[in-house]
Amino acid sequence: MFRYKLPPWLLLLLPAIIVLAAVVMLPLLLSLYSSFTPYRLTRPDSLFKWIGTYNYEKALTDSKFWAAFGRTIVLLTIALNLEMLLGLGLALLVSKVTRGQRALRTMMMFPMMFSPVLVGFQFKFIFNDNVGLVNNALQSLGITDQVIPWLVDGKLAMFSIIFAEVWTSTSVFAILILAGLYAIPKDPLEAAKVDGCTSWQTFRHITLPFIMPFIYIAMAIRSLDVARAYDIVQIMTNGGPARRTELLWTLIGRTGYVDAKMGYANAMGYTSIFLAIFFTVYFFRKLTSARNELGMGG
Amino acid sequence: MKNFASGASALVLAAMCASYAQAGEFDGVTLDAKLIGGQQYEALYGRISEWEAETGAKVNIISKKNHFEMDKEFKSDIAAGTTSWCVGSNHSSFASQYPSLYMDLSGLVPAETVAEFVPANIKAATLDGKLVMLPRGQFDVSALYYQKDLYEDADNQAKFKAEYGYDLAVPETWEQVSDQAVFFSDPPNRYGTQYAGKDEAIVGRFYEMVVAEGGKLFNDDFSPAFNSEAGVRALNWFVDLYDAGAVPPGTTSYLWDDLGNGFASGTIAMNLDWPGWAGFFNDPASSKVAGNVGIAPAPKGSAGVRTGWSGFHGFSVTSDCENKEAAASLVMFLTNEDSQKMESDAGPLPTRTAVWDYVTEQAKSDPYRSEVLAAFKETAKTAFAVPATPYWIEATNLIFPELQAAILGDKTSEEALEAAAEAVDDMMRENGEY
Amino acid sequence: MDANRSHRLRAHGLKLAHLMTLFVAMSIICLPGLWIVLNSFRPTVEIMAKPPIWIPNDLNFDNYRAMFAGAGEGGVPVVTYFMNSLIISVTSTAIAILVGMAGGYAFARYRFRGKSAIFVGLMVTRAVPGVALSLPLFIVYARIGIIDTHFGMILTYVAMNVPFTIWLIDGFFRQVPKELAEAAEIDGCTRWQAFWRVEFPVARAGIASAGIFAFLTSWNEYALASQLTRSVTSKTMPVGLLDFTSEFTLNWGGMCALAVLMIIPALVLTFLVQKHLIAGLTFGGVKG
Repeated sequence: MFRYKLPPWLLLLLPAIIVLAAVVMLPLLLSLYSSFTPYRLTRPDSLFKWIGTYNYEKALTDSKFWAAFGRTIVLLTIALNLEMLLGLGLALLVSKVTRGQRALRTMMMFPMMFSPVLVGFQFKFIFNDNVGLVNNALQSLGITDQVIPWLVDGKLAMFSIIFAEVWTSTSVFAILILAGLYAIPKDPLEAAKVDGCTSWQTFRHITLPFIMPFIYIAMAIRSLDVARAYDIVQIMTNGGPARRTELLWTLIGRTGYVDAKMGYANAMGYTSIFLAIFFTVYFFRKLTSARNELGMGG
Repeated sequence: MKNFASGASALVLAAMCASYAQAGEFDGVTLDAKLIGGQQYEALYGRISEWEAETGAKVNIISKKNHFEMDKEFKSDIAAGTTSWCVGSNHSSFASQYPSLYMDLSGLVPAETVAEFVPANIKAATLDGKLVMLPRGQFDVSALYYQKDLYEDADNQAKFKAEYGYDLAVPETWEQVSDQAVFFSDPPNRYGTQYAGKDEAIVGRFYEMVVAEGGKLFNDDFSPAFNSEAGVRALNWFVDLYDAGAVPPGTTSYLWDDLGNGFASGTIAMNLDWPGWAGFFNDPASSKVAGNVGIAPAPKGSAGVRTGWSGFHGFSVTSDCENKEAAASLVMFLTNEDSQKMESDAGPLPTRTAVWDYVTEQAKSDPYRSEVLAAFKETAKTAFAVPATPYWIEATNLIFPELQAAILGDKTSEEALEAAAEAVDDMMRENGEY
Repeated sequence: MDANRSHRLRAHGLKLAHLMTLFVAMSIICLPGLWIVLNSFRPTVEIMAKPPIWIPNDLNFDNYRAMFAGAGEGGVPVVTYFMNSLIISVTSTAIAILVGMAGGYAFARYRFRGKSAIFVGLMVTRAVPGVALSLPLFIVYARIGIIDTHFGMILTYVAMNVPFTIWLIDGFFRQVPKELAEAAEIDGCTRWQAFWRVEFPVARAGIASAGIFAFLTSWNEYALASQLTRSVTSKTMPVGLLDFTSEFTLNWGGMCALAVLMIIPALVLTFLVQKHLIAGLTFGGVKG
């Protein structure tokens, strides 16, 4: 009798592969196909008309698309780096505390309990120029008697969105880096102390290399996940005013659902997926090299 | 079973014209329905059990979502071909987007019943000669809410007269609104007025202003017509107020909820808004201006026409429904006189002529409510629906960023309208409209 | 003596600065959230007031009472939404963790051809924005008839979380020295036993944090849920939040009340599970 045995690693990976193929790959193939058609949601028969790369050409020659593309990259870069630095700082602060760690850690993760839709509404009201919390506070404290249009001014609107995004997601970095900090072996740290290293030296040469993989994990996970900011941006500004905060996702969401032009939206969607793949591969490379330095590769 | 049910309902259809609903008429029928959710809309659904008891049918609400989510869902349904549910909520501004989804109700609803609705509403519910929905008691048009004491103040009256050369009174034209808005503004504590600044909302406001200025948004073939003198005048109304600081600087980020909360906070002197807020504004638990709210019909533009962008909710029956008679019976029930009375008792405006009279009668002892109804009734007379093109929403998405650009000073009004018109023109051509 | 004192002073100063920074950081983190909690107890007229009312003078449970009332009177089927959210999130998290442990173990412990490519391949599935995925997913689900079911939502969230749990758990497994497991195997354990006795306890920190992340992602997800759920049979709480909006109005106080109900279980769970992170600390000792 012939019995084919799968290698154990494949057996272990099989459930993940099956689920992802069913829920992600299959729909993606469908949308890949539709990106070559003039597919309109309200006209299902348009799915069967092949128009080649028309949608892609249209997207790639559209200055609005490129503006949104560039803005998305800027937002990704600023938000991710800011979250990483703040998360690192927060994790270090919390790890140094001796009492009440448990409560602090929970508090640190507080923003993660908030659904992105809720965060959108929350910051929309907080940054409202007329009756919002921030302007009210600034005016009550006598810092300004001006009304600051947080969600309208070109720079401030991006700032507000980034603030909301950073507020929700810094916790992710903080908790992962904190976990990394806990996993640092004690010996090198103690050896460093004995050798008379300053705390900065210890941090720079022992702590940081060790938590680097965790930072890259967090970076990569966040860069994948950052598209969830769509809910926030959609509610806070919906890309406006005058496209000042238009991101790829708001553009795609509006084109696909509100305008019902799914074929075109999917073409733009694919371009944004390539962007995400680029970020993922980049951080994955970084992760591997950081691991190799620590001798954890393989 | 299925055959039996439809056979039976075909039989009773004949009887239906004679008597409205016979007991057990739709025994064993189950209707799937997708109804709009939200406080304002859901009270009505409590009546469904009465209809069930009367007809023997069952209603199974398979989806209840807010308006915009519902729109997404309908489009997804059309795309996936899952349209065999029967009754769906609909809205006059969205209806033209789903030309194939809903059936013509005129064959199932007796002409006498149709005649009981406000004719303008029926006209807006008829697309390409098909009556696609029956309006429920949720009619929307905007009138001007204002803070009464600002007009009663003698000091204000004297100063205003000195500055503008005419008496300070509740505005009848949009020009007066502009003057008064500038006059009342005292940022950051008070602004003269405000407007919705994004999405379909601002395009709707612009649309009604273009009409009030004597222009048109689209030509008859739906090619853009707003890039005109009237269009520029209309847009300049928004731009000038923004430049003068008479509206909150964040107004281009506002949607309806921000506007309502803004007026309720007492920081806005005049506010063009929907009937749904009338109760909210005059309720001390939700509004600081309660007791101080006046309301006037929508002002007129330079062409002597009132603004009056309007819309209403309604119910439709899908073309793929298996029990169209039962579905139509439910739709008629949810829009009948008793249903509309129930809805309008809570504040919203009806779409039946008789119910308009009824609410006016009911409000007699309540001066605020009477004022509200009078203002909206006057505005409703000349109200108009959105252009009946399936590409209305898509067009608004092309227009609104340009309007914002003009308001914020990124472009001149002429440039903005030129760019918007070009984009809409391209879109209409691409969609093969002309 | 002097040097000693100045050293002590400096240490004190540092400690104070540390506490101050921590306090400020925590305030920024918590205030916007606490503002929501506070709003849930206030009438709208106070929340949106100008001039602002800083000291609430009217705190009540009206928003909560209204939420639990019948439909049309401000009621929202909170209990049903809550149960839906709970069932969907807990089940999908448990499955995602199991699948993730299997996958993470495979990546951390086996060598095979195309490993990096497979790994990146799995990861990028997460990169697909919800907006781009929701419609095709809807069409597929509609065809097989699992729209508006718990099963459909669970399946979706498992897929959403698996790349993520694999990645995290893989990272933690890697930190367990191979020699530990090998030593256990030499001592007569099977690979399976070695896994449960040696590697699993050590990687528990990773599994706990992966679990928290997966749970919170499912608990709070909106974009896909709004597309794949339709009625009370499967609508989750984030989708339920939108019940407080109508075409022109938005009941912010009510929304906050529901939000608080959403936050509390997540908070409690996080508080309970996060202590397993300490397991990572023990690991530091194990290695030495």
